[in-house]
Amino acid sequence: MSRLEAKKPSVCKSEPLTNETVRATLSVLKGVLTSCYGPSGRLKQLHNGLGGYVCTTSQSSALLRNLSVTHPILKILTTSVQNHVSCFSDCGLFTAILCCNLIENVQKIGLTPTTVIKLNKHLLNLCTNYLKSEACGCRIPVDFSSSQILLCLVRSILTSKPACMLTRKEIDHISALILRAFLLTIPENTDDSIILGKSIIVPLKGQRVTDSTVLPGVLIEMSEVQLKRMLPIKKASALKVALFCVSLSGDFADTGEGTVVVSYGMSLENAALDQLLNLGRQLISDHVDLVLCQKVIHPSLKQFLSTHHIIAIDRVGVALMEPLSKVTGTQPIGSIGSVSSSSYGIVKELCSAKFGSKHFFHLIPNEATICSLLLSNRNDTAWDELKLTCQAALHILHLTIKEPWALLGGGCTETHLAAFIRYKARNEPESILTDDGCTQAELQLIAEAFCSALESLAGSLEHDGGEIVTDMKYGHLWSVQGDCPSVVNWPDLLSRCGCGLYSSQEELSWSFLRSTCHPFAPQTCLPHKTVSPTSNLIVDCLTAKLSGLQVAVETANLILDLSYVIEDKN
Amino acid sequence: VVMAYRAINKRRHIGLQQLSSFAETGRTFLGPVKSSKFVTSGDCLESVSVSSAVRLLESLDLSSSTVGQLLKEAVHAQHNAYKTGGSTLLFLAGAWSSAAEECLRLGIPVSTVASVMSEGVGSCIEEVASLQVPVHSVFGHGDNTKTISGLETPRVGSCPFLQVPAGAGGIKEEHDFRDASQPLSTHSPSRRPVKPPEFFSLPAKVKAGTEASQALRSSLHTDTCSRKSALILSRHFNQADDSLWISKPDGFLEQHSAATPETYRCRDLVELAVGLSHGDLSTMELVEAAARLQYQKASVRQGHCTVPFVLDVSRIFTCCLPGVPGTFSCVCSGYVTVVSTASMTLIKELENQPVQVVLIEGDLTESYHHLGFNKSANIKTVLDSAELPGDSSEELWASRVLQVLTQFNVNLILVQGSVSESLTEKCVHSKRLVVGSVGSGVMQAFAEAAGAVPVTYITQVSAACVGSGVSVTVWRAPLEVGGRNDGMPVLVTVEGINLITAVLTSSVTAQIRAKEDRFWTCAYRLHHALKEEKVLLGGGAVEFLCLSHLRILAEQSLRRGDHTCSGWLHNTSSWLASSLPAYRPAVLERLAEGWRRYLSALMCNTATCSTELGAYTFIEHHVQNAAGSGSPSVYILNEYSKLNSEIFNADIPGKLEQVPRVYDSVTPKIEAWRRALDLVLLVLKTDSEIITGLGHSQINSQELEGLLFL
Repeated sequence: MSRLEAKKPSVCKSEPLTNETVRATLSVLKGVLTSCYGPSGRLKQLHNGLGGYVCTTSQSSALLRNLSVTHPILKILTTSVQNHVSCFSDCGLFTAILCCNLIENVQKIGLTPTTVIKLNKHLLNLCTNYLKSEACGCRIPVDFSSSQILLCLVRSILTSKPACMLTRKEIDHISALILRAFLLTIPENTDDSIILGKSIIVPLKGQRVTDSTVLPGVLIEMSEVQLKRMLPIKKASALKVALFCVSLSGDFADTGEGTVVVSYGMSLENAALDQLLNLGRQLISDHVDLVLCQKVIHPSLKQFLSTHHIIAIDRVGVALMEPLSKVTGTQPIGSIGSVSSSSYGIVKELCSAKFGSKHFFHLIPNEATICSLLLSNRNDTAWDELKLTCQAALHILHLTIKEPWALLGGGCTETHLAAFIRYKARNEPESILTDDGCTQAELQLIAEAFCSALESLAGSLEHDGGEIVTDMKYGHLWSVQGDCPSVVNWPDLLSRCGCGLYSSQEELSWSFLRSTCHPFAPQTCLPHKTVSPTSNLIVDCLTAKLSGLQVAVETANLILDLSYVIEDKN
Repeated sequence: VVMAYRAINKRRHIGLQQLSSFAETGRTFLGPVKSSKFVTSGDCLESVSVSSAVRLLESLDLSSSTVGQLLKEAVHAQHNAYKTGGSTLLFLAGAWSSAAEECLRLGIPVSTVASVMSEGVGSCIEEVASLQVPVHSVFGHGDNTKTISGLETPRVGSCPFLQVPAGAGGIKEEHDFRDASQPLSTHSPSRRPVKPPEFFSLPAKVKAGTEASQALRSSLHTDTCSRKSALILSRHFNQADDSLWISKPDGFLEQHSAATPETYRCRDLVELAVGLSHGDLSTMELVEAAARLQYQKASVRQGHCTVPFVLDVSRIFTCCLPGVPGTFSCVCSGYVTVVSTASMTLIKELENQPVQVVLIEGDLTESYHHLGFNKSANIKTVLDSAELPGDSSEELWASRVLQVLTQFNVNLILVQGSVSESLTEKCVHSKRLVVGSVGSGVMQAFAEAAGAVPVTYITQVSAACVGSGVSVTVWRAPLEVGGRNDGMPVLVTVEGINLITAVLTSSVTAQIRAKEDRFWTCAYRLHHALKEEKVLLGGGAVEFLCLSHLRILAEQSLRRGDHTCSGWLHNTSSWLASSLPAYRPAVLERLAEGWRRYLSALMCNTATCSTELGAYTFIEHHVQNAAGSGSPSVYILNEYSKLNSEIFNADIPGKLEQVPRVYDSVTPKIEAWRRALDLVLLVLKTDSEIITGLGHSQINSQELEGLLFL
């Protein structure tokens, strides 16, 4: 007998953003994210309070994955940031903090959401058009014929993740490795479309960071004893490879429901083994040199193959199957019955390698875009952070090859953009407002909210009580000690701007952020001002930042637009 | 609500405080004289005796604190990688976290503290390269029979660092290294413990020994001269880019600027082993014997090996025999394991003949299947005819196994997994010995030496898989070991096997685990020393150098206010980079204080100084001298050589005792420092903890303080 229970009525709350607790939680979340931002950001220890693994991080991807927020507004925010991070791997905190800032600033103004949303969209368009245009003063071209800007790009990502616990030397080492790994994934002979390969990150925990290295091809880890048994590999020429994704362990495929009745004295296991041995004979007659299996190979089959000088490696794991299929140039064999002479692939060389206490089989391909990045760090939590960071950096390089531009980092793009918007809103408001009923006064208000959201985002880079100033020529960010006297000799107090492009000795004038100063048109960097080989720029990926900007504004708009939260209490 | 957030870095840094108080528990484990601790559980009457940082943290429940968890993780990672340096890590993590906390209290920004501390420790690591001692060809030249126990050691001269009092080293046992089937053993003679020097001894002691040392010094010189032909320059040493040392045409490394030309190197296994023993000579004796055995085997295998010999720890195993007196500890070539007393007579019968062996990688049971084999549940076996099978399937299987064993004339089965008991019994009846739970390294050693091929199932056995020439003997006469009714040790070996078992015995069962730990610590220290071909001067010398070096650095940056070293701060455009010189002296000073605390803990533990204050004045005295001398490393080397030649041990009236040098392995030590620093910086840079996956109900009301919910 089933029992019916009356449904509870849904709960409907209006104007969720006006709720005090919602505002409070939003500001806590903003506080958490802001304190993580940038190279000197503070770390967070994530744990379950029951003695589980402690994750120390300041990365949005790790943070948001573990944060479980309950309020729908916070959920909208975290989900859209996570979406952005999964597509672009970078600028997650940028997006989240900017979104929070926009919501916070706009609420103080008291315009209707419709107007705010409309104007935010205009300003967003203004920004994206500017950042994509030739006239943009805060972006530089990425030159793929030299490693300089690419290294800067990677180094900027590594420095912005303090939980990796890298020293400067180690950052240089890892940046070079990441770049090399990236270059190994670019095919040498290209027709019309380039298909980039893959870098596999191989854990090498407990070693020194400088023991990390990158190798072309695939590494398969195995115990020393296993490896010794297979060595030495006699063949010098290329090896013929059979790659199986089906289990060769000799058990029976799922028989489904019902019972299989076997008469006494019959052994299904032996029958299955006979089949496997037949397969083994076929492999021998086809002159296969190497058998790789995702799952388990029956010990008897292994023994049979090894007596015929075929190397059999099993339990390769699903993660390596795609790279292996690329390296060997063959599709994995999915059924024992369907092996034909066309199902085999080739590897150029097979050798053994030892890194730290780990032993590997190293498959070297003829020309494939697969490489292995052996990554080491001293402790587990720093290793996890480093792994995420390296993945992000490799992804960013892939994005950059599609759109070869970089934005100046270190907060300079944000302050520059704010200066640009202020100037446009003041001097050419009609170019922004396309007659849809918004007044110029409204534009001034929202533009100020937008700009101060950007500027306070740039100010979030500061965690030790410093202040942010901006110059009146390029609109770049400069950091200065907190309690400095108001009348100072700026050029001596400041050294370089946030991204490192300009030095304070260039006859500039400065002003504090949030101070009322006359809007100015920020200048583009001069052509000769392109990067000198010694300079160490901080740059960000254009694609990722552009998307971050869009996601932040659109999410803020969405949240501002919410008028009811309806909750099903059942 | 399933997530809470707590700021831990408001005004006082709770994380750093926790770290330093956790680390305080490991203070007594520092140095050669360790005091054990009893860890008792509150509710039941269990207690464990621990004497190392790893074991201590293992037995503490630190699940309530994230910092404790991280500390445990760091010490474990160090232990797993190097088997030594755990206590150093623990202590330094504590000392430096209080240093960092003090810097914060002074108002120095977190990023600056992190940056300067990282710079300071990095600079120390570079600096201690000058105290590296090259190690090479410690096995290379003659006199291989000399061991720590001093069996054939001439009294003075060739072994200048250890004088064995006459009469104490008298227990000898005839060794026959060529006959591998004979168990080799090295007794631990009850000998006066040699007290290792605690960096350098108190000045009073040094003076007392001046006169008596003259004779020794001369003998030391003649000794070094007679052996110079064997010296090979270490490439590591040449890379260590220090200008302090130059290599003379005659092959000696000489200290360039020092007043007394004194050569520093380590070419003698005994000296190296004693130096690395850190006071635990009896354990190091076992390791040294194992190293000699392995070296002999290696030279037999490959003739005169060109690559330097490295102790291969993966081919050393331990067999613990609790309840057997400690003097029975020894190392044997081959595999020692405990088998049931029921096979006693069988072993006696097998003893005088070479037997054939089979190696089974899985379990030896009827139901066993290899890993990854999924047994279908819905298969039913039916009988077609009325003919009933006579035996159960288990018996059928057992008889098949025996059939295979008989067919290939196999008398010994080594099994990696577990073994069916009924089969073991049956095998005993047919004069076959089955040994279960054998490690994979042991299997591999037998595979290599006996020519066997490991298989998973007994049905896979073919003539090519069977190994031969294995001997099985009782390890020592049963009467000697005596009193054990749960099993008896047997030695399984084969000609040329690259496998060594260290049999560790102790009459106190509770000590056996600590003994095993100590064995591995010593073995790994020697392993690293031989692998890296260099060691550090130990006994506090490197720490003292770090202390003096940091003091000098702090003073220099105070005087010059130099802007040069800001390279450690990643973001050079930040104001932090330009304000760094102002804070650097204070941070370096606190960091140096950490080293000073380390040294004084070391001295108090070894009772070199009875009070903290005494240690403090003593250390300060030497730091002043070192700073005054211009080069702390030269000062240390000079003090060290004084110590080596001038110490007079007042405890033995009328007898001169040379104090051996103390050595430390290089990478494990430096990695322990770096790990300790990383841990401190990780905690320092953390401002809050986020607890996930909790409901309101699971958090106690008193813990709720300071929590924010999302």
